[in-house]
Order: sequence, then structure tokens, then C-alpha cells
Amino acid sequence: MRIDIRHGLPLPVAGALPEGGFIPTRVPKIGISGADYAGMRTELLVTEGQTVACGSPLFRDRKRPEITITAPSSGHIERIEIGPQRRLSLLTIIPEGEDAERFDLAAADTPAGLRALMQQAGLWPALRTRPFDRIPAPDAKPVAVFVTAIDTRPHAPDPVMALGGVEDDFARGVDALSLLTQGQVYVCQDDGPDLVETQDRISVVRFTGFHPAGLPGTHIARLHPATLNAPVWHINYQDAAALGHLLAHGTADFSRNISLAGPGMQQPRLLRVPMGADLHALSRPHLTPGPKRILSGSALDGREAQYLSRYHLQASAIDRVEPRDRNWFIAALSRASAPAAFIPTAAVDRTLGPDMPAVPLLRALSIGDAERAAQLGCLQLGEDDLALATYATGGETDFGAWLRAVLDTLEAA
Amino acid sequence: MRGIWHRDTVSWIIVAAMLPAAVAASLDLGLATMQRFGVALAVIGFWQGVFLFTRAQPLSPIALVTAIAVAILASGATEMWQIVLAASFGTVIGEQIFGGWGRNVVNAGVVTLAFLYFAFPEVLHSGTSPLVAVAAGLAALLLLVTGVLSWRIAVAAPVGLVLATLALGQDPAAPFLEGSLVLGLVFLIGDPVTSASTRMGRLAYGALAGALVAIFGWADAGIGAPQAVVFAALLASLFAPLLDAAAIAVATRKWRGGHG
Repeated sequence: MRIDIRHGLPLPVAGALPEGGFIPTRVPKIGISGADYAGMRTELLVTEGQTVACGSPLFRDRKRPEITITAPSSGHIERIEIGPQRRLSLLTIIPEGEDAERFDLAAADTPAGLRALMQQAGLWPALRTRPFDRIPAPDAKPVAVFVTAIDTRPHAPDPVMALGGVEDDFARGVDALSLLTQGQVYVCQDDGPDLVETQDRISVVRFTGFHPAGLPGTHIARLHPATLNAPVWHINYQDAAALGHLLAHGTADFSRNISLAGPGMQQPRLLRVPMGADLHALSRPHLTPGPKRILSGSALDGREAQYLSRYHLQASAIDRVEPRDRNWFIAALSRASAPAAFIPTAAVDRTLGPDMPAVPLLRALSIGDAERAAQLGCLQLGEDDLALATYATGGETDFGAWLRAVLDTLEAA
Repeated sequence: MRGIWHRDTVSWIIVAAMLPAAVAASLDLGLATMQRFGVALAVIGFWQGVFLFTRAQPLSPIALVTAIAVAILASGATEMWQIVLAASFGTVIGEQIFGGWGRNVVNAGVVTLAFLYFAFPEVLHSGTSPLVAVAAGLAALLLLVTGVLSWRIAVAAPVGLVLATLALGQDPAAPFLEGSLVLGLVFLIGDPVTSASTRMGRLAYGALAGALVAIFGWADAGIGAPQAVVFAALLASLFAPLLDAAAIAVATRKWRGGHG
């Protein structure tokens, strides 16, 4: 199946990603940020200074103890920072050695066994459920699973290149995902050669067009709209390949093929680093002069962070623009009681997938009208899906944050 | 990373697009146009200042667009106190009390002009030359390329206009030679804020507005007179929310009933 997304916006991107493979790079530090697991009450399973192997559990969800987060690399725990409400704020590991936990694969070909294995090995958090874009409950049953093997964000690595050499793992991972659902597994990819063979319950869907053609929200709204009673899950292609690796070798592989790009880099780079890699250390020798912001994620939807997020496959360096000192009178004139209204131009209409009434949805979100936003399809969306809308309204309102607030309201209801 | 479509940038783009048409029209209508423009701008600026200090609503360059539209489309022998009255009504009731440009339901220029036409019907207003129509057409191209004007409105409005003109047994090419009419189509009916905001809604809105222009023009005011396009814009923007509601009902039928 081929779906041409005629909406979307061409984004200005300076500099092409380099040809050639992803360069394996060691990092001095790995960080696991609590921001990736928002909403999770963490129960720590390690202490500072303890030695861990790749795949050994670090912490788990207090309410759903099956969901564990495991170490992406062997080494020892350097620091654990606890934030408000005793939630984890940051956990750092100094990587050393090549130890890896081995997992028992005996039951991995049954649905229950596969779930248990993914939860043990720390691959369960790779799945996210729509509505709400959260880690799914350990016993939840999705009506479809989306494998996102296309990325249209600016400077995103090409999935075909990133899967080079691990195509078998990817195919094995996709096969395994079909055990988790009674419904379809959709492999959403770009217009290249098929990444996996189409089978009874595995369909390959090609998407073409500008961003947001490569976002799961677009795919889900188009192919299988999620509802409260019929949630769908999505997972990115590198995590699907990691699942395949786990099933083949019995060890978890948390390496990521990422791009490190953006206007703040002398040259864009392709790197193979562990999840949670220290982006400051990776980018520092290659930055252009001047103050910078290092983002985990793309320049469009990334967030400022020192460590690569679990859900990001790229990092960006952009110039830090400090607010200018303006004349007090001019500053007073331009300061408003409310953020400036967004103008529903033709560009705004192109920011969400073809099935979304973009302007009414953004209006509902910007006043926090949860019920109306749900009617307009916000249950299909995650924060990433609204980054383009924020871009196309001049960055005045962060619609991703508004969406999260609305989703939290709906989830609590 | 942020795009160019901030509220202020969009209004500057519209101002830039309007300048050639403004120059062409003031060549056409003479020095009085500049006078009307100056008075309208001063009045709108005053009210923006009042709302800046009382309600913290920032100033917007859209005042220039409203003032130019009023100067060109109120082309008759309008007294300046009439402009003061109408522009005050238009900018306060049409725009500022809703929270400023971007939150309004009807275009401030349209309200101002409708006020002038209704309150002072004895003043006769004339249209402008095809040169203004050409300048407004070029402006439409600029607005389409910069992603401000929706192509759906830009296509549907002329189609609606031509079809309704044919239905009334008139020459379908005639409206496109009228400067005021084309200017109104681009800047009043095509205003992104007060037009419909869904894809199907925009098509329906454009067609409705175009047809209303033809009906008002041929059946009442005369196709060259600016009244036709102003009243069509007023009526069409009042219908826009209804058209949007219908379009949304169709577009979201897939997941309606799931929640709420």
C-alpha cells in the first residue's frame, strides 16, 4: 500500500548528512533522564557506585512492577538524582567493560513469554500506546502495532541506512511484535525497497511527502484510528531491530544509530552510540564558535538535554539566542497579557496529517478544551506530532505542552 | 526552530502584498485616498493604544491593512468625521473587544465599511480601475506562495463568482476587471482569520462568498461598486463557523463516539 501525504511543510535544512556508515563512538557517560518516563513513580533497584551489566535492571514502576528500565551499557552507577515527589530525575552510568545480562529465550515464542521477556530486558518501554502516548500497561492488548520505519524530521538518519546489517534482526522483531496483538502490524516506511515481506498480519505501508508524513500520529490517524477502547501501539524501527537482536542472541542491545546535526555543528555526523549517550561530550569538539543549545531530538521537536532520550534517534546543536535587551518602552508595548493569537494561515492547515482538522484542533488545545480536542482527534496524537504546528504558528504557543495537559485531563477522567 | 507565520510577520506580509494595490488605487482615486487612509490609521492606532493600556493587547500592523481597505473601498465623498465614527466602530466592535487580530470573527475593515454604507447611504462609492485588479491579483500570488492565503479559497471564490454570474445571465469576465471587487476578494474574503478554517469548509466558504458577490453585485449595488464585495465578505464570514462545523463532522466521523 502506498499513501501520499500531500500536506506537510518543507522544512529548511542546511547541510546534508554525510555518506557512509555510522561511526561507533564511545561516550564517557550515559544518562537516563526521568523526563523520558514522565508519569512513572520510580522504584530504584540500584545504588550509587554499584556495578551493572548491560540489561540489568536499574529501576521499575512502583505501580506496575513488571515495567523495568535496564542499563543500556555495562559500567557503574555514578549518580542518582531524585526529583520532586520522589520521582527519578537523572541516573548516570560510567560505561566500562562489555558485560551483558543473558535472558532466557525458552518461552519467547508465546505471547505471554514474549511480554515477560521484553519487560525483563527493558524493551517494554520502547512501546508506546495511543491514546495518551505512554508506556502501555503490561497486560494491555492493542488492536494494531505500528512500526515507524520512516523519519521525515529535519536531519533524521535514513532508516534504511540505519538498519544496514541488521535487516534480519528488524524482520525478526517485526514478526515477534505480531505476537502482541490479534490485529495488524503495520510497517510504515518510505518509498524505498520493502524492509520486510508482507505477510498475513504484517503489512508494509509506504508513506511519501513532507513532514509529518513520517510521524506515527499521521500513520495511526490514517490507517487505524486509536480510541479509548481500542488502543494502538507504536515503536520505532531501531527498537524493533533491538527486539530482533534480543530474540536471536539472548542479550539486549541498546545501541542507537543517530545523527548529530544542526546549524551549530561544523559538519553533520552519523554516530553509533549507546542510548542515553552524553551529547555534550559527543558534540563539543565539533561545534562552531559561539553559545549553543544541544537538543536531544531534531531542531523541530527536540528538547534541551545533556543525554540522548530513549525515544530520540537524533540530536541537534543550534545557536543559543539570548533575548536582546530592548528599550523598556518597546518591551512594555509588545508584552501582552496572553500569548499572541495564531493566524490560521494555509500553512497551519498543512501541519497535521490529512485526516485532522488542524485549525479547530489547535484552537481547542490552546484553550485547554479537552472534550472538544478529543472529538477532533487529539487521541491519535503525541507531543511530537504538534511540533510542526508550533513551528507554523511562529513558536508563540507550545502546542505539545497543551496537548500533554489535555491528554492528562482525559486520562484522569 | 520557528517558522515565519507568527502573527506579526503574517500581518507584515499582508501589508507588503497590499502596497502595490494601494498605490494603483490612489493614482485612480486621487489625493483624498491618502487623507482617508491617514484618518483611518490614526483612529485605529488610537483604539489599539487604548486596548494596549487597558487590556494589554499588543499593537498589530494589521491596522495598516484595515486603513488601506477603508481608504480604497470608501471611495465616495465621505466626510472625515464619518470615517472616524466608522473606523472606531469597526476596530473596536469588529476586532479589539474579541482580543485583537487573530481572535476576531469578522474583519474590522468589513465592519467599518458596512457601517459607512449603512449609516451614510447618500454617499455614492465608485469602483476602481483594472490596474488595481492586476495589483490585487499579484498580491494574491504572493500570499499563496508565502502560505498565508489558502488556495482553496483562491480557487473556490472565483468559481462561485463565475457560476453565479452565469446563472444570472451576465458576462462572467466582467467582475475580474473591477479593481475594488478583486481587492475585496483577496484581502477581505481571503482574510485567513475570518474565513473558514477547515479544508472542506474553505472550499464551501469561497464558493459561497463568490456567489454572494455576484448576487449582490448584479442584482443590487452594481458589480463595480465596492458594496457588493463588502456585504458578501460580512455575510460569508458569519457563515464560516457553520461551514466549519459541517466539515469537521464529516472529517472526524472515523473516531467520533470514542470519547466525549
